[in-house]
Formats: sequence, C-alpha cells, structure tokens
Amino acid sequence: MITWESEMTKALERGAAEKKPILLDFFNPG
Amino acid sequence: MEKMVPLQVKADMPLADEFRVKWTPTIILLDYCGKEHHRTVGFFPPEEFIPNLLLGMGKVAFDGDNFAEAIVLFERLLADFPRSGAAPEAIFLCGVSRYKSSHDGKPLKEAYEKLKADFPQSEWTMRAQPYSLL
Repeated sequence: MITWESEMTKALERGAAEKKPILLDFFNPG
Repeated sequence: MEKMVPLQVKADMPLADEFRVKWTPTIILLDYCGKEHHRTVGFFPPEEFIPNLLLGMGKVAFDGDNFAEAIVLFERLLADFPRSGAAPEAIFLCGVSRYKSSHDGKPLKEAYEKLKADFPQSEWTMRAQPYSLL
C-alpha cells in the first residue's frame, strides 16, 4: 500500500525520518 | 516505491512554479532536504519508468557522496533493465562511483568499454571516450 503525501513539508519530514529520497510527481488536474 | 517517499502535487499549485514545471507529467527526485537530483518529463512505460526511478535514486546517493549505495542502485538497474534508456547513464555513473570509491582508473575505462560495446550511439559513450586512454 503506497501512502502518497500531498504536502512538501510532510514529505520532507517523512523523508528525513525514514532516510529516503522524495519522489515528487506533478500531474495535470485536468 | 517503498524506498522513496511519494509526493503528488497538482501542476497548477505554487510549488510547480518553484520547480519551474512547464509540462506534465514531471517527475523529480529530491533528497530529504528538498534538493533536486533528477527530473523526467513525459510518459514512460513501466519498463522505462522503474529504471528511471532507480537512476534518480542512484543520483541522489551519488550527489550525496554515498558511492557504495549509488553503485548498488546502478547495478540493480543494469541487472534488471540492461537495455533501458536509463542504462547508459547508469553505466557511466557506476564507473564514476567506483572510481570515487577506489581512486583506481580501471572502472572508468571499463565503463567506457561497456558503453562502446552496448550503446555505441549513446551520448554517454561520447562523454566517457577520454577514459579509453586510462
């Protein structure tokens, strides 16, 4: 189960805590 | 995907301007300080998308001087997706990572020889050509 973040701040916090890079996906909302 | 923190943002949000995003999909690999290390624009089929992510993760490690980790990621890419579009850059950066780890020029020459044999038309073969003299 993939947990997608929607806020940069939270993603960076999670990345720092888990020592992982961030996959930032910009998508077209249509 | 479990090796990364996935973050999905609409391209009409201010963050897209901060990252100078002009087209979608745009995928960017960041370190956990928020610094960009790799970017792709446009669609990839799975057999190209996964090696591209591995290349990006390898570049995050490489840029952070974590050469042992970078080598593992580039080697995984090359083992699982040897003919992918990301492979030539991975061969190049794997050779450089090995050199950075050992200060032995042999891995650079080996990288060039592999590029020349497997991807003679790649720009990465051209970039590695001087290593043939080592």
